Amino acid sequence: MRRRRATAVAALLALCAALAVVAAAYATPERAAAPAAQSGSDAALVKCGKTRTIGFMAPVTGPAASIGIQQVHWAQYYVSTYNKTHKTKFKLQTEDTQLGAPTGTAEALKGAQALAGGSSVLGVVGPAGSNEIVGVTKSLKDAGLAWVSGSSTRTTLTTDGTRTGYMFRTVPPDAVQGTTAANYILNKLKYKRVYIIDDQETYSTGLADAVEQKLKAAGVTVSRDGVSQQQSDFSSLIAKIARDTQLVYIPWQLPPKGQAFGNQMKAAGKGSIKLMGADGLYDSSFASVGAHVYDTNFPLNPKSKIIAGFKKGHSGDGEYFGAPTYAATQVVGTAIDRACKKGSATRATVRAAIRSTNIPAAQSLIGVALRFNRNGDLSTLHKFGLYKSNGTDFVPIAG
Amino acid sequence: MNWSLFFDLTVSGLTLGSLYALIALGYSLVYGILKLLNFAHGDVYMIGAFIGWYVLHALGGPLNPTFTGGVVLLLMFIIAMLGCGVLGVAIERFAYRPLRNAPRIAPLISALGVSIFLQNSALLVFGAGFRDYDTFDLIGVKTHNIGQLFFSVPQLLTVITSICLMVALTVFVARSRLGKAMRSTSFDREAASMMGIDVDRVISVTFFIGSALAGAAGVMFGLVFGQIYHFMGFIAGLKGFTAAVIGGIGSIPGAMLGGLIVGLGESYATGYLPQGSTFQNLYVFALLILVILVRPSGLLGKAALQKV
Repeated sequence: MRRRRATAVAALLALCAALAVVAAAYATPERAAAPAAQSGSDAALVKCGKTRTIGFMAPVTGPAASIGIQQVHWAQYYVSTYNKTHKTKFKLQTEDTQLGAPTGTAEALKGAQALAGGSSVLGVVGPAGSNEIVGVTKSLKDAGLAWVSGSSTRTTLTTDGTRTGYMFRTVPPDAVQGTTAANYILNKLKYKRVYIIDDQETYSTGLADAVEQKLKAAGVTVSRDGVSQQQSDFSSLIAKIARDTQLVYIPWQLPPKGQAFGNQMKAAGKGSIKLMGADGLYDSSFASVGAHVYDTNFPLNPKSKIIAGFKKGHSGDGEYFGAPTYAATQVVGTAIDRACKKGSATRATVRAAIRSTNIPAAQSLIGVALRFNRNGDLSTLHKFGLYKSNGTDFVPIAG
Repeated sequence: MNWSLFFDLTVSGLTLGSLYALIALGYSLVYGILKLLNFAHGDVYMIGAFIGWYVLHALGGPLNPTFTGGVVLLLMFIIAMLGCGVLGVAIERFAYRPLRNAPRIAPLISALGVSIFLQNSALLVFGAGFRDYDTFDLIGVKTHNIGQLFFSVPQLLTVITSICLMVALTVFVARSRLGKAMRSTSFDREAASMMGIDVDRVISVTFFIGSALAGAAGVMFGLVFGQIYHFMGFIAGLKGFTAAVIGGIGSIPGAMLGGLIVGLGESYATGYLPQGSTFQNLYVFALLILVILVRPSGLLGKAALQKV
């Protein structure tokens, strides 16, 4: 009897854990944030001092840590290069969001509350995921904090009006990237049979939806499936992909997973089917799968000294997924400096300074000037770049 | 019937199932003896995968191995199994033994703590990035076939090695003195102790064997699926545990059967059910619920009788 009960308890525990995983994968808490009941922190005067604090939210641990660490590196790179050349200094107050973990959104919320309560925090870089943005909106808004994300791309985040004036991002939304990818498949490759696989994260499903919609509207036969970010065995899924499929579109977040998928496709004798990723997979590891791999990415400035400097300090690895986080840190840092001209600032003045950001293209590593439209999207970035692998790295191609 | 798809899914399911079975054995062995759910087991498997990777690179890497591919593989397995075995013994000694007479919830919480400790330690020591086994460079990418049955060398290696390890374990437990001591301890720890069996030693050996099997599974995972990372033990551990419960936790053949059922179930669900890949975890855990409802003690488990 005891043993039976223990088995049942064990089964229940496993079930709870499984449900937590499923819930974490599918939860899209799209609740509208309550009108900002702003506390005094919005207008509280903060003495800027010599060292200013930037709040920073990224998945430092958890399943997405491999891309989170890229954002950490790029944010730290901005801070360290800035600190070398300026009398005033920045420091990052980092909060781990554990994106993709069963407790991911809760951890992000905890981090947002810590930043909201941090009296010296004037602006925030991050968080990384669109779900996390939805989760932390109320906490950050109520505290009067503006945040600039370098990777959340869900289109509605900036268009539903919930975060206007508070949320900004240095990456274009899914609608822009999805259109670029779909147009290339339709107009240049002229493919008729496409398989789309998302990785069940909001970033990925949003892009997959956008591309699927456009391809289906143009009469392309589209099959759709999904994988979890924790999954490494794709053999059963690959078995399902018909051999006459012309392209598999995988807008995933983790380049090594894209690499594993590509290699398992080859091992299954389906290496001739073209693969296309998105900015999340823009990495040499995914490019190394072969010359049949395409990708879309924000147009990095190839002549940027910033990228060269970063690579020098990171064993030659560009860690490009994190590059827009450098731009986000640059935006927040510049805004804090402007707001702090008189020695003190409020979160409200930093918000206003972020909204009126104007960093010229020459100082921006993403190839365009950093200016925001009313919604908080970059007003200067309307198109994604297209790339094809040469077997080891991605090279730009005409769209 | 698309036989080609069926065979592909079967090969994939058997490969996965073999891995789950090896992990499930660790859960079952420990549960059988201590009635403890060792939730850190999935992370021991992750450490095994990393040890295998380091051995591979210490021996020149997949492109320029110091020895032939076969010898490198053998050393990867042996060292990962030994390393994980020792880790398992250490976990038992420091995290579970002091709580052996505590309420049952205490070691369970301790197990969860060890799991998170190992995960984050791996993140700290190995970094957040993925490590690539580069199996193609080590043993080739060629796919072999018997009719419509296609398989790769790593897949074949995984299934055969798993079967060998499972048979060896079964023989060890059934025939050896230590195996007999394990069975006695599992049956009644106190009585076994009174009969002169060194229960602490038996428990340590059990942890060593279970963890060594997880280490082997970790290396196999790296060889078959290419990449390893610090969080890989979480889901694999859950699936291994599910396999152990489905087969009948505490039962060695049950763990093997449960592993194969979960692996094949996952593979067929992915291949045949709508949005199968998206919802494969849903199907696997639904299977768990179904089995528990029909046979609460698992397919090969025995309901414990209690004298009243």
